[in-house]
Amino acid sequence: LVNQQRILAVDAIRCPATIILRSRRASLCSLSQAQKDRVAGGPGLEDFLPNAQRPPARLRLPDWLKREIPAGGQFAKMQRSLRQLKLHTVCEEARCPNIGECWSGEAATATIMLMGDTCTRACRFCSVKTSLKPPPLDPMEPANTAKAVAGWSGHYVVLTSVDRDDLADGGAGHIGATVSEILRLRPDMLVECLVPDFRGRPDCMETVVLSGPQVLAHNLETVESLQRLVRDPKATYRQSLDALSHAKRCRPDVVTKSSLMLGLGETDDEILKAMEDLRSVGVEALTLGQYVQPTKRHLKVRDYVTPEAFKSWEERGKAMGFLYVASGPLVRSSYKAGEYYLAAVVRQKRGD
Amino acid sequence: NCLRTIGRLVSATAASGFSSAPRFASVVNCRVNQCQRNRWLSTVNMSGNNSASATSSSKQKYQPDFVPIYFILRDGSKVRVDCRVGDNLLDIIIDQNVDIDGFGACGGTLSCSTCHLIFDKANYDSLPNKVTEEEQDMLDMAYELSDTSRLGCQIVVTPDMQDWVIKVPNDVADARIL
Repeated sequence: LVNQQRILAVDAIRCPATIILRSRRASLCSLSQAQKDRVAGGPGLEDFLPNAQRPPARLRLPDWLKREIPAGGQFAKMQRSLRQLKLHTVCEEARCPNIGECWSGEAATATIMLMGDTCTRACRFCSVKTSLKPPPLDPMEPANTAKAVAGWSGHYVVLTSVDRDDLADGGAGHIGATVSEILRLRPDMLVECLVPDFRGRPDCMETVVLSGPQVLAHNLETVESLQRLVRDPKATYRQSLDALSHAKRCRPDVVTKSSLMLGLGETDDEILKAMEDLRSVGVEALTLGQYVQPTKRHLKVRDYVTPEAFKSWEERGKAMGFLYVASGPLVRSSYKAGEYYLAAVVRQKRGD
Repeated sequence: NCLRTIGRLVSATAASGFSSAPRFASVVNCRVNQCQRNRWLSTVNMSGNNSASATSSSKQKYQPDFVPIYFILRDGSKVRVDCRVGDNLLDIIIDQNVDIDGFGACGGTLSCSTCHLIFDKANYDSLPNKVTEEEQDMLDMAYELSDTSRLGCQIVVTPDMQDWVIKVPNDVADARIL
């Protein structure tokens, strides 16, 4: 350390003696550059371990998907208020990469996940906790959710929930009560509900739709051939499409919405077919996003779809007649949901 | 920091009357396998004497800490995994990064069938805990279900399982175009 300090001091005043001192510094390392390169390119630790597991081949995260980890300020304030009201969010439970963006700033918004943080299904893309018998519902949740939402500055809120196949109505009554409570406190609020399939029971879907949300979303998640691989066995392609078509039948003025994850091994033709099937049951809003593996226990990403490819899906979707298509690697079902919806409604009113 | 109680130092002056070296009670409550203290305490327990059996005249048989178990993965390759006695197969496969896609989606809460494993008939019959109704309900949803299928989260490794060969079945119809 003393030597280095001496060298730095000499460099600072550009003494001709630095030439001699620099060469001495270089000689502190006894390996030549060629030797150093051989060491760097040679065998690593794994080559010497007897039973080293071949690490599972996993694609590296591309640059366009890297996000900062949020902390402090508005983010912490949102977290505190949610915990005080004993509310959960899908943002936290499903580890959304957009959490820092959505929870910060003046128009901070979160997607509250109703009925607890434990789901009765085990889909292989989702990191929400699973149990066949989750804790009972919090009867104060509808009121608490409305209280939290009423305090936010935005006019659009997205609600979602876990699957509760253990409940008689699948939780439909609870979700409906939350929507009603929000609309009671803030009649100007636009509500979007991202709901489960309620095991295909039409009466449950009706309960939610008739409680008054502007947008009713249910995610198809993936193409038909990958449904069994990606989702819980209780969820099927046909059941989800039927749920969406039934929602539209209950209330023709509700905007139905769905979402697909790309990057699980689907082909372009399959994506196109899924989009056409959604259109055929009257779905008006679509979001396409990149599947990102949340933990080791979940499916690996098969490929990272480029932002340009997402853009082209957006164009094709618009050409198919969707009211709006939100498409991008980091787009999620409720990402900027309010902005997309309002922009689309304005466009429609203007007669585009 | 893990705040769970994962062991207690047993006083040497307890009624056992042994050497004055302190021993750790074998109460290991922390189920988090990654917890460093859990690993260390388990090792100490395995190699030390149990306070109960130390009183008996027979010496406690040495229990191996790890047993090698071979898994045949979905692509046909066979990997050797050194499994710690007392852990369940789901935790072992996840902790040791064994290359099985989407294994253990529900995290071991007996709520899915993604940790489905197939055993040899003799090994299957020798497993100490038989299939419960809950496990069978979940197994019924599994792809490539067989008569010797079990869920990995329900199988706890014992020293008898040394050198077993366990097959990882496919999770869907295998003609997925990649």
